[in-house]
Amino acid sequence: MTKLVTLAEAVATIPDGAHVALSGFATARCAIAFAHEVIRQGTKKLTVSQCVGAIDADILVGAGAVERIIYGGGSRGRSGQHSCICRAIEQGTLITEELSSLSMTFRNLAGSLGLPFIPIRSLNGSDILKKLEGITPPVVSYVDDPFTGEKWLVLKPLIPDVAVIQVQASDEDGNAWILGPRWDNEEQVKASKRTIVITERLVSTDAIRREPDRTVIPGFRVSHVVHLPYSAHPSSVYGIYDFDEAHIDEYAAASKTPEGFQQYLEKYVYGVKDHWGYLEQVGGLQRLSALEADPVLGY
Amino acid sequence: MAEDLEYTSFELMAVTGARELKDGEIVAVGLGLPVVASFLAKRTHAPHLTIVLELGIVDPEPIEIGSGLSDPRFWYRAKIHSSFVDMLGMVLHKGLVDVGFLGGLEIDAYGNLNTTLLGDPEGKYRRFTGSGGGNDLASCARRTVIIMRHEARKLKEAVSFITSPGYLRGSGERESLGLPGGPARVITDKAVFGFDPETKRMRLEAIHPNTTLEDILSNMSFQPVIPSHVPFTEPPTAEQLRLIREEIDPDRMYAGS
Repeated sequence: MTKLVTLAEAVATIPDGAHVALSGFATARCAIAFAHEVIRQGTKKLTVSQCVGAIDADILVGAGAVERIIYGGGSRGRSGQHSCICRAIEQGTLITEELSSLSMTFRNLAGSLGLPFIPIRSLNGSDILKKLEGITPPVVSYVDDPFTGEKWLVLKPLIPDVAVIQVQASDEDGNAWILGPRWDNEEQVKASKRTIVITERLVSTDAIRREPDRTVIPGFRVSHVVHLPYSAHPSSVYGIYDFDEAHIDEYAAASKTPEGFQQYLEKYVYGVKDHWGYLEQVGGLQRLSALEADPVLGY
Repeated sequence: MAEDLEYTSFELMAVTGARELKDGEIVAVGLGLPVVASFLAKRTHAPHLTIVLELGIVDPEPIEIGSGLSDPRFWYRAKIHSSFVDMLGMVLHKGLVDVGFLGGLEIDAYGNLNTTLLGDPEGKYRRFTGSGGGNDLASCARRTVIIMRHEARKLKEAVSFITSPGYLRGSGERESLGLPGGPARVITDKAVFGFDPETKRMRLEAIHPNTTLEDILSNMSFQPVIPSHVPFTEPPTAEQLRLIREEIDPDRMYAGS
């Protein structure tokens, strides 16, 4: 069965106020084209969850599409902080449910397994936990281990409305390969009510059946498939293209101020019709082919 | 042998960090100098060190050092590509990580780390990275080694936000919460610290060459425990410097200036 739709059609299935799990990690496999289309369609009041903050979430927060973020912190590494997220937290315009990488992953894992809660050793004694304890309805609690009597911190599962996952390859049914490390993408998909796959390459189901050991996302969890090359640019997609350092530098500088970020949106999001327009705006095939990954290096 | 080698304070910190890692151990690393230190240890005295990255990487052999965990340069020639559940869950949470290697924005006298914010958490503050895997490493590793700049505004009696727990308010509090391990070493550009076994307060362990006790104390906002005898930090060897400069960080991204 084909689940192929355009990016605009896939984004239109997400109502205001939905909880969206995003696949990005810092500067890798970020759902950038997706974020841009959400902004163009004017979808609002999203809850965004992500294990480690990435550029896709930063763009959505900067554009005012996000009401709440559930994440484990994070930056772009050497290229600096996620300025839009930091600014929104400082100004109190973003509801923040902040955890750590593992506690975020465990919440998705609990959601994926259908468990009512999951115990964890992390967070104890920290001010992260103090802030989580202040959230209503509660997202953390304590139970006694029924076997040893030991007291354990437990976390509430996450069940996002939709996971939006950037992958290297998928068939029309959404059977999808993720190459390279997967961080918590598999748990995000399996915790979510449904998944939108955004794929660099569209392959046949025969190709999937020949190498099923690469398949991380089974098609039966997927509602829509979008085939869109360079849809994670300027972040990297392992084995296909490297991150665009110059463009990320441009984004980093622009996003330092609300005015700069607004100009960035005008140029790359509102000022173009769609993703193809964006790719022309960032330098077209000449620029993109320079980012093509070396098959040995993977970047 | 005894020639005076020129080296940067970052190189000395990386070399000192490398010496904290023993052959056969499992180390979990993030960004920056801990990465340089771990690869240096692996190429010198600890060839059987296992290096894990939280997002699902075991034992990479990068030929370029990369801009962070998410940079595929850092994943090159890894033995495994897996996930957070695999690394932070089934390795770290299970208790198999010997050393969590961390950096920080602020640290206090009991080794509690802040990477979240500077200022008043209930009022005006400047937001930074938050935890990532930092809290998980500080909570679950058998011990942590922390690398920091030595500045009065970074070494404080109390931090503005505890992102990653050290010994909390001292003797017994960490254990009472069921947390294993704790900070073993804090390496700055002026000194090496450990922790008093009883009070869990930071204790001076070594003074870097060309530094004085006065310089160390006047650039921190709390008084550490000072034993009667404090040795100088062992300087880098020519081979360690060559590895850092020619092989591990040739572009001087982390160990320069």
